Amino acid sequence: MTMEFSEHIKTANVDDVVLKLPLRPALKGTLCVTAHHLVFSERKEEGSYQLLLLLRSVDAIEKRMTGLSGSSGTIVIKCKDLRILQFDIPGMEECLNVASSIEALSSLESVTELYPFFHRPRELSLSEPWGLSSPQQQYAQTERLWDRWRLSKVNRNFSVCMSYPRTVIVPCAIDDITLAKAASFRQGGRFPVLCYYHRSNGMVIMRSSQPMTGANRKRCREDELLLQAAIDESEMGYIIDTRSAQQAQQARMAGGGFESKAFYHHWRRLHRHLERGKVLQESLIKLVEACGDPSQNMDRWLSKLENSKWLSHVHSALSTAGLVAECVERDGHSVLVHGFEGTDTTLLVTSLAQLILDPASRTFRGFLQLLEREWVQAGHPFRQRCAHSAHSHARLRQECPAFLLLLDATWQLGRQFPLALEFSEVLLLRLAQDAYASDYGTFLCSSEQERCALQVKENTHCLFQFLLRREEREKYVNPLYEATDLAIWPSVHPQSLQLWTGLFLRWTEYAQTMDEAREEIWTIVKERKETDRPKGCAHTTLSRHDSFTNVENLMDELTVL
Amino acid sequence: SSWHTSWRNPSDHSPRVCLINVHAAQPLCGCCVFSDKDLIYMCPFHGALKGKVFITNYRLYFRSTDMESTVTLDVPLGVIGRIEKMGGASSRGENSYGLDITCKDMRNLRFALKQEGHSRRDIFGELFKYAFPLSHGMPLFAFLSQEKFEENGWSVYNSIDEYRRQNLPSEQWRISFINESYELCDTYPVHLVVPYKATDEDLRRVATFRSRGRIPVLSWIHRENQAVITRCSQPLVGMSGKRNKDDERYLDIIREANGTPRLTIYDARPNVNAVANKATGGGYEGDDAYQNADLVFLDIHNIHVMRESLKKLKDIVYPNVEEAHWLSSLESTHWLEHIKLVLSGAIQIADKVSSGSSVVVHCSDGWDRTAQLTSLAMLMLDSYYRTLRGFQVLLEKEWIGFGHKFTSRIGHGDKNHADQDRSPIFLQFVDCVWQMTKQFPTAFEFNERCLVTILDHLYSCRFGTFLYNCESVRDSNKVRSKTVSLWSLINSDKAAYVNPFYTSDCSRVLYPVASMRHLELWVNYYIRWNPRIRHQQSPVEQRYKELLALRDQYLKKLEELQLSDSTPSSARLTNSSTPNAPLPNQHLTHLQTPF
Repeated sequence: MTMEFSEHIKTANVDDVVLKLPLRPALKGTLCVTAHHLVFSERKEEGSYQLLLLLRSVDAIEKRMTGLSGSSGTIVIKCKDLRILQFDIPGMEECLNVASSIEALSSLESVTELYPFFHRPRELSLSEPWGLSSPQQQYAQTERLWDRWRLSKVNRNFSVCMSYPRTVIVPCAIDDITLAKAASFRQGGRFPVLCYYHRSNGMVIMRSSQPMTGANRKRCREDELLLQAAIDESEMGYIIDTRSAQQAQQARMAGGGFESKAFYHHWRRLHRHLERGKVLQESLIKLVEACGDPSQNMDRWLSKLENSKWLSHVHSALSTAGLVAECVERDGHSVLVHGFEGTDTTLLVTSLAQLILDPASRTFRGFLQLLEREWVQAGHPFRQRCAHSAHSHARLRQECPAFLLLLDATWQLGRQFPLALEFSEVLLLRLAQDAYASDYGTFLCSSEQERCALQVKENTHCLFQFLLRREEREKYVNPLYEATDLAIWPSVHPQSLQLWTGLFLRWTEYAQTMDEAREEIWTIVKERKETDRPKGCAHTTLSRHDSFTNVENLMDELTVL
Repeated sequence: SSWHTSWRNPSDHSPRVCLINVHAAQPLCGCCVFSDKDLIYMCPFHGALKGKVFITNYRLYFRSTDMESTVTLDVPLGVIGRIEKMGGASSRGENSYGLDITCKDMRNLRFALKQEGHSRRDIFGELFKYAFPLSHGMPLFAFLSQEKFEENGWSVYNSIDEYRRQNLPSEQWRISFINESYELCDTYPVHLVVPYKATDEDLRRVATFRSRGRIPVLSWIHRENQAVITRCSQPLVGMSGKRNKDDERYLDIIREANGTPRLTIYDARPNVNAVANKATGGGYEGDDAYQNADLVFLDIHNIHVMRESLKKLKDIVYPNVEEAHWLSSLESTHWLEHIKLVLSGAIQIADKVSSGSSVVVHCSDGWDRTAQLTSLAMLMLDSYYRTLRGFQVLLEKEWIGFGHKFTSRIGHGDKNHADQDRSPIFLQFVDCVWQMTKQFPTAFEFNERCLVTILDHLYSCRFGTFLYNCESVRDSNKVRSKTVSLWSLINSDKAAYVNPFYTSDCSRVLYPVASMRHLELWVNYYIRWNPRIRHQQSPVEQRYKELLALRDQYLKKLEELQLSDSTPSSARLTNSSTPNAPLPNQHLTHLQTPF
């Protein structure tokens, strides 16, 4: 333990602490504060309960004196994963010491002091690969990109765009000098880059930040050329702006703006307003408050749920992503998505659109790759956005649950298409937890540049690699998964969207029974797969059959059914 | 004229037998065509659709004749609650003249006809006659149906067998034949389980103090602790606060049977309603009179409140679903709140019984809220009732046997749509069951489709199961010999109604979470007519099963093909990956986000 940590720990061990957890009888034992964890061990000979709580996952802490003349204290810990724990600690001084340790150690500023830099499980080695893919790999694997798109290393030193990775995919016709100029016209240097290529018709999804047209309608030839080069002369592209038209207009006063029709002839702009930042954060806080409201009787729960507006944010995210997917798949247009900075709602929309369109992103690995590409490498500022979740009374700075919203919308997709996703709700819950506090380095920092500077990849383990290990993977797989090549169009009616009880009511009895049920279903499906195996062999030989008309007729029949 | 061959309706799976004969006009199964007519169906989802309507004595069938549309309607006449003429011969506006049909299953139908020549007169007359046969001195369709099934559903339930399953009679409880000819209570079944220590004479005296003679009788006994659920109607206390020593002693005998320290009486009503009932001669068990009993009011509202609540729910889901303020609108119907109260009442009962205390459950007459509470508590306590057959037994026993007034509540074959006796009490119960199946996805052998089928035939009048108000009337109308049981349909095709994820070893008591946070609207039932709402999450298990079935079918077909043709050469299929039948839900349904 380094000096800085021990400075924060005045009382390392307290005995006779009572721990109250949701759904468990109170436990008595020893509480121990370490640099990164709270450890509680029940004082019992056999089968004693141990709690290991990552201090980083503490969102807020409340302390109050109890007992005669304040002889003991109670600490209530509200975790970022929405769990609430209570410790009753004998001795006022001990209580205050423990509380101040938790406060200090749960909000360490320096990234390299965080637990991922110390997490060294025996079964993992730092020499293992970090991350699942890179733009290079993505490019190399998509042969059909090659004649029109190229890899650019214009950002190799992160000098063109601080928040982009070193390599990006751009139109062949645009050289690096042009790119750099276009970048100077986009907020934060986030010039339009490719994020998805639709194999069936060659259309693409790109993303960027807003153009800096400003009050006097500046233009940038290079930016115009870049977008022009992304589509054919004869084609029409769509810009989906995640702001309202009014917001986009107003952004000009602050130096931002939008692509004017006069200069971007082949692009049509559509505005779909998605809330972001503070509004989203407050929505989450309201929702969690409503969920935790202990007055369960006739408490107008549905009104509270509606007032939190969380589900309407889910609605906007899914319907805007649906719009993008519709442009690409049904109408055959390429799309550029951006809002303001292009690091939040933009990523939400592009990644959901890919889930709708791309069967590869619905596999276990594919989904993690999607998150890595569209969120981690694309520079979603996890560090600021996920500093606190819904409980913190600390003054909020740049917190915003955009990533949580993505996970929620993904859950809705999984609920509407129970067979379409290879991963289960358990994975989404795990990601929701790790985005806010983790043993792994994946969600540390806000950009690749920062990750490089702090040598995150050299000194932490990668969550995604870990989850893909065989023994882990099993926990997160959807037993009902059946791959489909079709797009999965979500229904976005309010009647079709549900509260994600697995996350927001996670620490209730209900979640427990659902966990049990999930396990039972797993067992049943596994057993069934065992017995089905011979049939599996059958169809590989049968699939070489040439009586197509018959088979096709049958397929039609099945489709109708 | 091959309209019946392309008939396909996912919501009603079986009466094809009937339909095929429609065109041949041979009333093979008691079903015959009376009319076919060209008209316009004013579909709330697809707009005005030209088509043909066929009316038989069982159903109304519509098929659009537009080339582009394949909309069909298949509505058992029993589902129709109200038929009205819309517009007059002189009303203006397109499609303003026709018929407006209100259904009992959360939809309305509107047909427009040509304005000249009294074109709707015949069809209105026929519909009115066959939708409300009892109002026209005609029999219900169930008595005309000639359907045959492999299984005989009437053999599912035999009260003595069911009591034997519960190890009854026992030392403390006997089966009484006092009601053999429905003399004690004409709305009770023939066989009653009563305390061994109570003589038939005692029972008669207790009956005088209970509304409509519905005395406390045993519904269920806990195998280990011998605590019982007994059900009855309210005591006839009246304004003067009458007491009845026999009734008091009788309840005490029930308490003593397993040594329960204090008997708990669950009165399903809100306290004020129970007090108000005194004015009409009813009331509740007072503290003074029943000293070893605790009275708990469960605050469940009466049939009128439930009817209005469902009406409000229908307003926000049909024809258009409320969009802007969906959740608060849903809240203002109070439907889920009522569900919550019923479920939490049942939870309290189940909890009390499993802790070893006997309980008495009643409301006013003991055939609505009481049936909801006892049957839900039994579903929580006894895993047998969670099987496909056990659930049928539960309904036969607690609902049909103990005289839930199906005829009055549903209004079978009766034109009087405004009858104040109608109320969706049984639907509300099935909704509660559905909520439980959602919370315990592996604990129930039957699936969602089974519940929906039961509700469809609650109204259809195709089966005798839900006809009439009580056993005595059912007997005198010879329902068992003259009609087919709904369980015949279901048990002849069990695979379709079974939950593939059912694990039979789950025999513990199931306590659902009855908090508003964990209840959801049963979208697949209440909003099922709206094609724009995806019936998502609709039985995950169902789809999984369908998929397996499709795949099996597919593989079988391929095997056959391979046998018939032994030249494996082409590579076309090899490329098209494995035979994944596109799922019904994964078609390209249009997202409602027009540019």
